Amino acid sequence: MNKIKQNLPAFPILGYLLLLVGIPLLLVVILSFLSRDSLGNIIFEFTPDNYRKMLDPVYLRVFLNSFSLALFTGVITLLVGYPVAYFTAGLDNKRRSLVILLIMMPFWISSLLRTYGWIILLGKEGLINNILMFFKIIDQPLNMMYKFGTVLTGTAYMLVPFMIISIYNSVDKLDRSLLEASYDLGGGKWKTFFNITLPLTIPGIARGFTLVFIPALGLYYISDLLGGGNTMFLGNLINNMATRGRNRPLASAFAVVMILLVILVLFIYGRVTKSSKESLYQ
Amino acid sequence: MNEQLLSIININKYFGKSHILKDVTLDIKDGEFITLLGPSGCGKTTILRCIAGLESIDSGDILLYGESIKDLAPNKRNVNTVFQNYALFPHLNVYDNIAYGPRIKKSMGEGEIKKSVAEMLELVQMQGYEKRMTHQLSGGQRQRIAIARALINKPDILLLDEPLGALDLKLRKYMQTELAHLQKQAETTFIYVTHDQEEALNMSDRIVVMNEGVVQQVGTPGDIYNNSKNLFVAGFIGDRNIKEVKVLQKKGDFCSVKLGNSVIYIKPDRSLVDHDKCSEMETAVLAVHMDKMKISHEEVPNSLYGQITFVHYAGSQIKTEVDVDGELLTVIEYQNDYGSYSIGDKVYVSCEETGALLLPKEDTTGRGQDE
Amino acid sequence: MNIKQKKIRIFYLSLFFIILYVPVLSVVLYSFNDSSSTAYWAGFTLDWYRQLFNDRVIFESFKVSIEVALLTSVLSAIIGTASAIISVYVTKKTEKAMNGLMFLPLIVPEVALGISLLIFFSELKLPFGIFTLVISHSLFCVPYVHIMVVLRLKEINISIIEAAKDLGATRWQIIKTILLPLVMPSTLTASLLALAMSLDDVIISTYMAGPTTTTLPVHIFSMMRVGVTPKVNALCTLFLAGTFLLIGLNQIAGTKGGNIIEFEQKQIR
Repeated sequence: MNKIKQNLPAFPILGYLLLLVGIPLLLVVILSFLSRDSLGNIIFEFTPDNYRKMLDPVYLRVFLNSFSLALFTGVITLLVGYPVAYFTAGLDNKRRSLVILLIMMPFWISSLLRTYGWIILLGKEGLINNILMFFKIIDQPLNMMYKFGTVLTGTAYMLVPFMIISIYNSVDKLDRSLLEASYDLGGGKWKTFFNITLPLTIPGIARGFTLVFIPALGLYYISDLLGGGNTMFLGNLINNMATRGRNRPLASAFAVVMILLVILVLFIYGRVTKSSKESLYQ
Repeated sequence: MNEQLLSIININKYFGKSHILKDVTLDIKDGEFITLLGPSGCGKTTILRCIAGLESIDSGDILLYGESIKDLAPNKRNVNTVFQNYALFPHLNVYDNIAYGPRIKKSMGEGEIKKSVAEMLELVQMQGYEKRMTHQLSGGQRQRIAIARALINKPDILLLDEPLGALDLKLRKYMQTELAHLQKQAETTFIYVTHDQEEALNMSDRIVVMNEGVVQQVGTPGDIYNNSKNLFVAGFIGDRNIKEVKVLQKKGDFCSVKLGNSVIYIKPDRSLVDHDKCSEMETAVLAVHMDKMKISHEEVPNSLYGQITFVHYAGSQIKTEVDVDGELLTVIEYQNDYGSYSIGDKVYVSCEETGALLLPKEDTTGRGQDE
Repeated sequence: MNIKQKKIRIFYLSLFFIILYVPVLSVVLYSFNDSSSTAYWAGFTLDWYRQLFNDRVIFESFKVSIEVALLTSVLSAIIGTASAIISVYVTKKTEKAMNGLMFLPLIVPEVALGISLLIFFSELKLPFGIFTLVISHSLFCVPYVHIMVVLRLKEINISIIEAAKDLGATRWQIIKTILLPLVMPSTLTASLLALAMSLDDVIISTYMAGPTTTTLPVHIFSMMRVGVTPKVNALCTLFLAGTFLLIGLNQIAGTKGGNIIEFEQKQIR
């Protein structure tokens, strides 16, 4: 058959991907329905126990933490990033390229470095405390580390470029004549913004939010470094369970839930932008 | 030298639901320069691509030297194409572009390739350009390299898809002569596609006029120009006045027709048009070349009387519009011969005896006759 | 736009960029601090850098990182380019399947991917080390190579392919003589990207590392968890310098295929 012959070259690639992506994920799903004995060995008996354990308030708190972290990160990056994108789009070409370069540069800087920098700034002996004490604004160092807010700051800081670029693309594509028509018809700057610009850039906002929300669920090294042991997030939980906790089945269950959450977000994104032709990765 | 080289037999082609080529049949002779001429969308480029093998045909056959090639892949046909945008390989220099065909087919050794490339460059007058990259060349130069790249393979037929379209007017005119010479020198059959009738008339041994997937007429430039077989060809080739007239009387070779309120006698060519189809007292279509008409201030026998509404001086030509009983006729004359015209002048318009064509009114997409 | 609005714009953007780069700059700054705490500035020193160069463990993990990154880069370039070219020739359904599977590692959170590979490789009783690192790194690098090459392929005018066919080339010859040379700049740019991403990876590398093979970021991470030491600052600063070197290289080498900055803009689009 012609079709099989045509698709033959793709088989090795598909095989490679199925083997290294499909099967591991399948194993995770399977494992999530198994359990382990006290020595850490797997008991091959189907049980939905792991999922039941998730309803424990301790674990629910973790879900809540991660979810609210991702949500707040989205909101903060949106509020901070929208003006950046908007202003950048209004610049002339030369300056605009420079600004975009500056926005993109952090992608090239090690994510550990970027997170570590906040430890330097926010620590008890950190730069911010030093400066504040130096200017006698406070006389006791502020305790800014190992809080929810710390992790939030670090995560938002890490992900804000994604939001900015998504919004920027949306703003850039705006038809200027629409704005001019609005001014022409008597709309002021703010009215034009809320009635024309904002609604038309919703695809960009949605995409930015999605590109920020999903990683925020999983960047556990940020919560590890900035959150200490106090606040537990989903990523840390999975990591701890899989390594130190030696409870791979439970970790797998949480991983499955995490993946489902991501799929849910993507699904919502698809719904929200049904009319727009943009896709997440193209 | 004039045997049948390529036969296109009853081919039909569909793009989805569109019927692009409708029962097209053509014979191409060895060594000729034949042009497929027609408006955009008439199917001329599609025929070319079918011959090259870049498109498949839905029915019919294509025979090269009597053998069917319709199922052969393009790389197996001894036919080469010069593309509209030249399609030169951007990562190869001129030499490697030209050498591509022989190298890929392993038809020549490197020594022979070197000689052939030099020959080709001489043929297209681009010696010395071997090392240049294609983006360093001008449009006209790229086109010549595209031709060299095709001809080095000694194809049975060279297909050219509107190769002069991207060039400016002066260069285009120059290249038209060059291409015609080149064809004779290379002793290869050229099948040329264009929508520019002047180009076709200038360069070709024969022209195939097409419209909407149907062959309208095949003939020499002279045939097509003077003896258009149907209304489409008459309107497409040359500048003609095309007016509905009433046929009054037929007397031997002559016909009296009524245009507006005036009557003139014309002598349409019997051998081409079915004279008897234009029966008396019926409406027909009169097609007269604008430059086969004359304007005179004094009365002249067998002329139409009217008033000048517009005069346009264009270089060596004067284009005058005359209102004859509500019908507008345009006359093209050459400056040196005649005096000046003013709007409002009352004049007499006459046409050369053999310059008029009489076509039946219904005949808009008739089929042409092969020679 | 009037002066006042321009001023607001400049002010906001400047403030934003200051906040964006201050954390990074403070890391660099304190790497030169002649004191092991950030409480005060004790003077300029290169001591910490000297200590770095004497640290065997760091050096070993650096070697591992480089080795893994180079191998990942090459492997991803080959697989990604091959898959891009193949995707042009197969049916739409197969193309969708390929794309779906290929981009899955990017959508799945790294933690989940990490433990799935951890389970997979340990069930297969494979030794953890360079091999597992390279394989897992390539999983998130290949999609980028694929996309960049596909973008480049789409830019190629179809009449060039037709001309090659017309002149007698078979499909494989077209790939070899036309497609590969033309996508090479994109492949190179993408491999540099893969190199950078592999060097930077933390989460997946944590799971895939072997008992004696850890990558530099994983090592740095464990150092950071212990506390702030200027040695880490110095290490980070060197890392930063290396990154800029890579960007510089890319700018020089990538003029034909479009450089990574342009690509990232296109990609996010």
